[in-house]
Amino acid sequence: MKVEATEVDGRKVYTVRAFNKGVATWLNRLPTLWVEGEVTELRRQDRWASVFFTLKDPEDGACLAAQMPRGQFDALQLGLADGERVHVFGRAELYEQRGELRLKVLTIERFGLGAHLAALERLKAALAAEGLFATARKQPLPRFPRLIGLVTGNDAAAKRDVLTHIVQRFPPANVLVAETYVQGPRAAVSIATAIGDLCRRGADVIVLARGGGSFEDLLPFSDERVVRAVASCTVPVVSAVGHEQDTPLCDLAADVRASTPTAAARIVVPDIEELREQLERVRTALHRGAHRASERHAQRLTSAHERLRRAPLLALERKRARLDTLHARLGALSPVATLERGYAIVRGDDGVIRSTEQVEPGDAVSIRVADGSFGATAE
Amino acid sequence: MSEPTFEAASKELEQIVERLERGDAGIDELTKLWERGEELYRICAEKLEGVRGKIEELSRTAGES
Repeated sequence: MKVEATEVDGRKVYTVRAFNKGVATWLNRLPTLWVEGEVTELRRQDRWASVFFTLKDPEDGACLAAQMPRGQFDALQLGLADGERVHVFGRAELYEQRGELRLKVLTIERFGLGAHLAALERLKAALAAEGLFATARKQPLPRFPRLIGLVTGNDAAAKRDVLTHIVQRFPPANVLVAETYVQGPRAAVSIATAIGDLCRRGADVIVLARGGGSFEDLLPFSDERVVRAVASCTVPVVSAVGHEQDTPLCDLAADVRASTPTAAARIVVPDIEELREQLERVRTALHRGAHRASERHAQRLTSAHERLRRAPLLALERKRARLDTLHARLGALSPVATLERGYAIVRGDDGVIRSTEQVEPGDAVSIRVADGSFGATAE
Repeated sequence: MSEPTFEAASKELEQIVERLERGDAGIDELTKLWERGEELYRICAEKLEGVRGKIEELSRTAGES
């Protein structure tokens, strides 16, 4: 359609209506195409002919108004909620009455699971290549945390689960709770910010808790910003997101993965009952150790004393033994043993008679046998 | 000396027990070790009994700023 201008004082002037019409006509030449974005400000009413929403770029927040006939929108039965990522098929159009650009939507597809998975796999590979999931990066948990940072949704059962179990298990635990969005477009930034805040506030371990949810619900926990916040956190992070079978990327970057929020509580604090028992065991060992050590000292003392007491007697006995030996040797040299075998010693006036030359007949001699002496006369 | 944390106290207590069980401590040292051990036990036990932690909330807007 040709847009007519009027001539005023030598210049071409268009009416607003004509201008808009001209732009609209020109826009109509643009192709119909797919646009990806997040649905926000979705407005639908039964009495309206059209459904309105704004498509938002998740990266930099750029916005595009979109309109779709209500009948077609309803027929898709998408049940879209704010923040959902979609592919929209449509073309640019000018709302002439207001001179506003908008996307005339022909159809909407939820950003496919497959596309999400592929994007997730790409991100996972890239972050793994950077070493963010490496075992060497994992930090050990403190045995007795001074302050536990808990990142969780405001009404989440996960929050209650974790808190209840922490307090039951270890009543002296201090917990600082940071409530965040745990799903939807604002969740990722909110979670990443909370992790940093808790670190600054002195938490020495951080628990990321969220109950189960759909694949899309858990997506913020695979968001690059959250994964990087977890990996670069200066204190250890325990990830307890979703159910056992879910593995959001923050699980891989976390220092410890807990299968459920309840399990996270068990991991992060010690059991006070066990601590009590352990303490009693150590005390018993202390008593036993002290007792044994002093017992050893006492025994050493007793045995030293005993040896001291016996020493003089021992010395005496040793002397007596030596005397006995000498006496025995003396006995061996005595002639009595020889006399007992029947020999006799004959003495004359000049002593022991060893030769016949020493006696004359009539000499009195004394004969010594084993049991005594008697006199005799030589012949 | 300021009172040690539970973690530090229970660690020291265990070391004292090990030391006593090795049996190379002299009589004077033995007494000191035992007294220190008892003191550490009391510190640990007090920390386990009756102490309640705090649960605080970070302001909710923190995540949105």
